[in-house]
Amino acid sequence: MYARAQGAVYQPKLLINPQTTMNNYTRMLLVAACLFAGDGLLLAQTPTDAVMMKPREACLAVMYDHGKFDEYWEGSKLRTNATIATVHRRTIMPMIAIGIIDNLNVIISTPYVRTKSDEPNGGKLEGAKGFQDFGLVVKYRFLNRETETGKVAFVGALGFSTPMTNYLSDYLPYSLGFGAPEVSGRAIVQYEWNSGFYARASGAYLWRGETEAERDYYYANGSYYTAWMDVPNAVNFQLVAGKWFFGHSFHVEALYNSTTCLSGDDIRAYNAAQPTNRVEVGQVGLNAQYFFPNIKGFGVLAYYSQIISGRNMGKFTNLGAGLTYQFKF
Amino acid sequence: MKKRYILSLLGACLTMLFVVSCDRELPVNLNYKHYDFASLDPNGGTWTPVLLSSPEQLDVPEPADVNSAEYQSELADLKAAMSNLTSQQRSAIEYWTNNPAIRWMEIAMELVAKYNLIPGPNPDGTYTLPSPANPAGPPPFPFAHPAYSSRAYAHLTVAQFDGLIAAWHYKFLWERPTPSQVDPSIEPAYGESELPSYPSHGAVIAAASRDVLTAMFPLEKDYLAARAAEHLNSLMWAGEAVQSDIEVGEYIGSEVAKLALARASTDGMSKAQTPKPVSDSIKQSAIDRFGWHWENQEIPQRPVGLAPLYGKVKMWSVPNVELTRPGPPPAIGSAEYQADVELLISHQNNMTEEKRRIANYWQDGLGTYTPPGHWNTIAFDYIVKYKLNPLRTARTLAYMNMAIQDAGISCWDAKYFYHYPRPIQQIPSFKTIAGTPNFPSYTSGHSTFSAAAAEVLTRIFPQEGEIFREWAEEAAISRVYGGIHWSFDSEVGLEQGRDVASYTIAAMESDGAE
Repeated sequence: MYARAQGAVYQPKLLINPQTTMNNYTRMLLVAACLFAGDGLLLAQTPTDAVMMKPREACLAVMYDHGKFDEYWEGSKLRTNATIATVHRRTIMPMIAIGIIDNLNVIISTPYVRTKSDEPNGGKLEGAKGFQDFGLVVKYRFLNRETETGKVAFVGALGFSTPMTNYLSDYLPYSLGFGAPEVSGRAIVQYEWNSGFYARASGAYLWRGETEAERDYYYANGSYYTAWMDVPNAVNFQLVAGKWFFGHSFHVEALYNSTTCLSGDDIRAYNAAQPTNRVEVGQVGLNAQYFFPNIKGFGVLAYYSQIISGRNMGKFTNLGAGLTYQFKF
Repeated sequence: MKKRYILSLLGACLTMLFVVSCDRELPVNLNYKHYDFASLDPNGGTWTPVLLSSPEQLDVPEPADVNSAEYQSELADLKAAMSNLTSQQRSAIEYWTNNPAIRWMEIAMELVAKYNLIPGPNPDGTYTLPSPANPAGPPPFPFAHPAYSSRAYAHLTVAQFDGLIAAWHYKFLWERPTPSQVDPSIEPAYGESELPSYPSHGAVIAAASRDVLTAMFPLEKDYLAARAAEHLNSLMWAGEAVQSDIEVGEYIGSEVAKLALARASTDGMSKAQTPKPVSDSIKQSAIDRFGWHWENQEIPQRPVGLAPLYGKVKMWSVPNVELTRPGPPPAIGSAEYQADVELLISHQNNMTEEKRRIANYWQDGLGTYTPPGHWNTIAFDYIVKYKLNPLRTARTLAYMNMAIQDAGISCWDAKYFYHYPRPIQQIPSFKTIAGTPNFPSYTSGHSTFSAAAAEVLTRIFPQEGEIFREWAEEAAISRVYGGIHWSFDSEVGLEQGRDVASYTIAAMESDGAE
């Protein structure tokens, strides 16, 4: 007998710089925060920045993310577990952001995920791989106003995601996702000073549906006689501070990200996580993005993030990089 | 233009809110209600009990006449209890039903799931085992693994069965009418019943279940006392029984629980989890006999497998465990063994959603009610479908759970006699989709449990036998799909389970119920 621990992942942050026009820099930061609630994996694709693509412009991006953890929180207790050793989670995420009309963008993503444990591990369990959740985000900029000292923007975003394949969510820490639909609503406010410094805050509510396990009984602080597991709803907020350099061709930013499930049970002692778990995550990260001045439309980005606090969650370190290409159509 | 989009955004918002608000209540209990029994089995008191020598062994006084002042006063109390029921009391009536043995099994299964957690390693790499001498632990006692839980289920259901045989004996000996037969103004919640009221069978079940489960799950004493108190009270709220019916039922329940617990205290379970030197000598015997042995593959390695001497635990229906011991598995390196290595690798490389579903559906691993629990849920469905009365329900569950425990004992005897390695020990870099348990491979516990359960259920519900046997075979193959058993573990395990069940069925044939 063995125990499966639970995993969690923070997902690719993507900075896309669309066309740079005279005074109007549009850029988009797409943060997909993937939380595994217990055996369930929740993917919230939340564009969290204030900048928009123009109509008939699109930005194509491919991100590669590598997350790993060798400690996780069992309830609130941080521990290791040689049954799963170090768990790796690698994601390739193709995505596209499209400008529909002024101030309205649509973002679509289709992450492909692979998970496995390092050798040696005591569990000898197979990892998992496959397409995770189809994500769609509609972003609308309600306000974009120049001031004496800079520029202020207010953006709302509605997201929807749902599993693309019949992956098993009840297989943590290796499951690809939490296996349930999610609807999210987010508000974003940003201020950018003329000096190039900017600050951004956003908050979101994440409604999650149910995921279907492949068993018709489970225990979550009591018996459940059903294959359906309730994946807890969550709130997320994010604070970002950054600066542009070299005339908006390069920027770096630091980020704090927090997600808190509003219900759920704890991982039990030396036992596997499951999608019903109450997941909490506090995470810090650094993002950098560069737009090639001489190669039209291309940009690169890289990021690093670390989970610093949590509950029922792997203490992930993530490293990611991506290529973006912006074009008109 | 802008406005239109804002409006459609708002519309989308509202739609999403609507979708989200459609959250269902997920079922936390088995879905059944009270029902009219298909038969009453007036001769049930003559059936052969398992542990009780005879219902007359119990000191059950003759009930007071229903015209007596004593009874009339109890009846008045009953009517008072039934008036002005709170919504909580109404829920309790609906919950317990007129076949509450199923509810108590449900409680037992929930406790099994709660306690079915394998102790993890200490920081220094050692393992501490749960101890009944220090139930709070850590780790808490018990670790309700399949062997422990099948033993708990068997003792619980046997106590219920013996208690109900005694109750039936006295019910039909004295034939005290039900409260609503005495006073037609009483409307019993579960409908009119022809079953004599004294002793209350519900009270027998409540007391027997509370006492057996309290011994099996000592940390749950208060919880179980509260559940039993609610159940006993609900008998009056439902208009089922007056106080003297309940009191004598409680007495019978407590007495049969004592018998079950006396058996459990001397069945050899306390010696099943051996110290390392004993475990090592068992392993050495296998090496001497067969040239192979099983080793735990966990990190840090567990020094002793799960319950090496569970195969020596007292059986219910099999006189000697060796009567049901199967022949040896294929020798390591033999052609048959090699073919199974290929088969397992092939399943690993060609995993399908169907195989995965089967592996998961029957896994019933850590943190669940175990495979014996799964078979109880199957039994419940057919008990309700065929509207069995409480006595027949208890008989079904008792024989099935005795067969399951005997199958487990027989399986454990084979496991530690043959001490056969698991696939992950033998096949380099082999990976599984189910967790490999901490005991030898041959034979498969799931297979023996399931075949034994399916045979007993087929005996009781012969018209449903085909599906029970199909499920047993699916449970058996699920372990091969999961990557944790060889195919011969499962095939021989099925035969072994059927063999064990033949002893159980022989006992059923002569107990007077058929």
